[in-house]
Amino acid sequence: MDPCEIEFLSEKELVSIIPNFSFDMIHLISGSVGPFRAGLPVKVPIWLAVNLKQQQKCRIINQDWMDADSLNEAKEEEKLSKLFTKMPSNHYMEEAQLLLNVASDDISDADRIKTAIKDIWDIRMSKLRTSIDAFLKSEGLHAKLDHLTAMEINSVRPLLPHALDQMLRIQTGGRATQSHYSGTSQ
Amino acid sequence: MYGRKGFKLISELDLYSDILPFNEALIKEVLQEMQSLYDANVANSNAIRNDNNMALLPSVQLRHIALKRNKRCILAYIYNRMRKLKELRWELGSILPPEINTNLINAEVQWFQSYNKSLAKYMRSLGEDHGFNLTTNMVPPKTLYVEVKCVEDFGKLELDDGQVILLKKNTYHLLPRSVCEPLIRQGILEHKST
Amino acid sequence: MENNGDVQMTAENDDQEEEEVTAQSVLLAIEEAWLNEKFAPEILPHRSDLVDCMLQQIMHMEENMKRLDKEDLRLMIHRMELDRIKYVITNYLRARLEKIEKYTIHILSQEATRSSEECYLTVAELQFAKEFLTNIEMLFKTIALQHMPGNFQTFEVDTLTVKPNLQTYVFLRANDRINGIIVPGSMDEEIDLEPGSQHIIQYSAVADLVKSGAVKLI
Repeated sequence: MDPCEIEFLSEKELVSIIPNFSFDMIHLISGSVGPFRAGLPVKVPIWLAVNLKQQQKCRIINQDWMDADSLNEAKEEEKLSKLFTKMPSNHYMEEAQLLLNVASDDISDADRIKTAIKDIWDIRMSKLRTSIDAFLKSEGLHAKLDHLTAMEINSVRPLLPHALDQMLRIQTGGRATQSHYSGTSQ
Repeated sequence: MYGRKGFKLISELDLYSDILPFNEALIKEVLQEMQSLYDANVANSNAIRNDNNMALLPSVQLRHIALKRNKRCILAYIYNRMRKLKELRWELGSILPPEINTNLINAEVQWFQSYNKSLAKYMRSLGEDHGFNLTTNMVPPKTLYVEVKCVEDFGKLELDDGQVILLKKNTYHLLPRSVCEPLIRQGILEHKST
Repeated sequence: MENNGDVQMTAENDDQEEEEVTAQSVLLAIEEAWLNEKFAPEILPHRSDLVDCMLQQIMHMEENMKRLDKEDLRLMIHRMELDRIKYVITNYLRARLEKIEKYTIHILSQEATRSSEECYLTVAELQFAKEFLTNIEMLFKTIALQHMPGNFQTFEVDTLTVKPNLQTYVFLRANDRINGIIVPGSMDEEIDLEPGSQHIIQYSAVADLVKSGAVKLI
């Protein structure tokens, strides 16, 4: 899947904005948004927040979890844990990128947040590589992937499923050839 | 060696991603090889049947495999050209640029028209026969409007809201994404580099 | 419907809230169907119920939007949302067409064994598949097959059939609790799926669960 499609999915997540305009509730197919009251926070999907922000119709408020100190704590926890820790959002990477890109002026500490998220991503990716390596070497047939987020899963696609498909082909191919020979040797 | 020409057909597909002129000469040669293999096999099979000359059997089997391989190569050649044509339908629309058209043989042009027709019929049937175009909205929407540069004279373009704009070479426009997408694929517009 | 040009979710239903929940849940269901179709190796049972319903919603909305002033904020927001929904539907239906084109013969022969209630293809998709096959056959015959010697002229359905690899590995998230899935390739090793848990496993082990909605591909 193209990363921009994962980003597309992440844009459904909600974020708080402070509009500089007032407007009644708007009934969208995906649910209603608003009412908008100038100066009062309201939750909207990220795709809407980004577009309103681009038109200078709102300020974007940090997601609760987009806080440098708590992210750094999460980073330490991730380092210590053998397993993947639970992330605050299934789309933490894309959300951070989208919001920091468009609203770095609204988000205090943007640089520290960016660094912390990048570090967390790097730690998790290296953990992911190690566990895939172990999984393939153990000739595993099934793995539990709890707490892996959408972009992380996508980053090992298609490599991991392909590797497993190839291993299976080699195994069953070997078996088929064997039976073939035993069949003709009589 | 049998099958070498067939292999040459396939490697042509591999070497170039564009649609080259249909290689009629080579196809003909492969077909000729098939014919002579076939004739030889008919002769040998008769000899086997009539004179019980079993020593000929391995040659017959070998030629049979060569015949099958040649058939496979030819069909793979045609099939893969068709696949590329199909991709072009989605990228460029129902009218092929002349530089592609000249490389096709009649049967391929026919196929392309039939494919167009089937696809159009299918798209018209969607949404309880109201129709739904599957060749737009092909990338995740980001912003409604995109800044584009016109790289080729196109002429007038009517937008959904009735507004008419003139697309002239080297002009810049802010246009709805859905309108731009096909024109960008056709090389008339390009994203303004920021 | 006549409420000062205010854009309503639907034109026909007085009970705004109820209808809204429905449209929203249809959208969620389409998004799930889209991802399943994208990641499943085989073609899945069609969801034209969802597609038709959503295309109708889009039409209503576009109708209503015509009544809005050009500068109305809602116009831009609705348009953006419709673009997103159209993208999902387009991508979903294209994923199906691509499979139909790739596995035409296989899909048609499978479809022939199904009753009209359990069909995987819509009427229009079935028509498209049949025409696609006829056109390929025509192409092969005109250019090559008719010039081949003797029995090599046949359009050999068996050798030309391409089948999806159902043993391919997929990522999934469980919607429900599922007990006792047998891991393919193992000595009857069984696993249980907790709701919300994520896994990688051979598609064949979960194909039925994808179709029943007990798990979703991710």
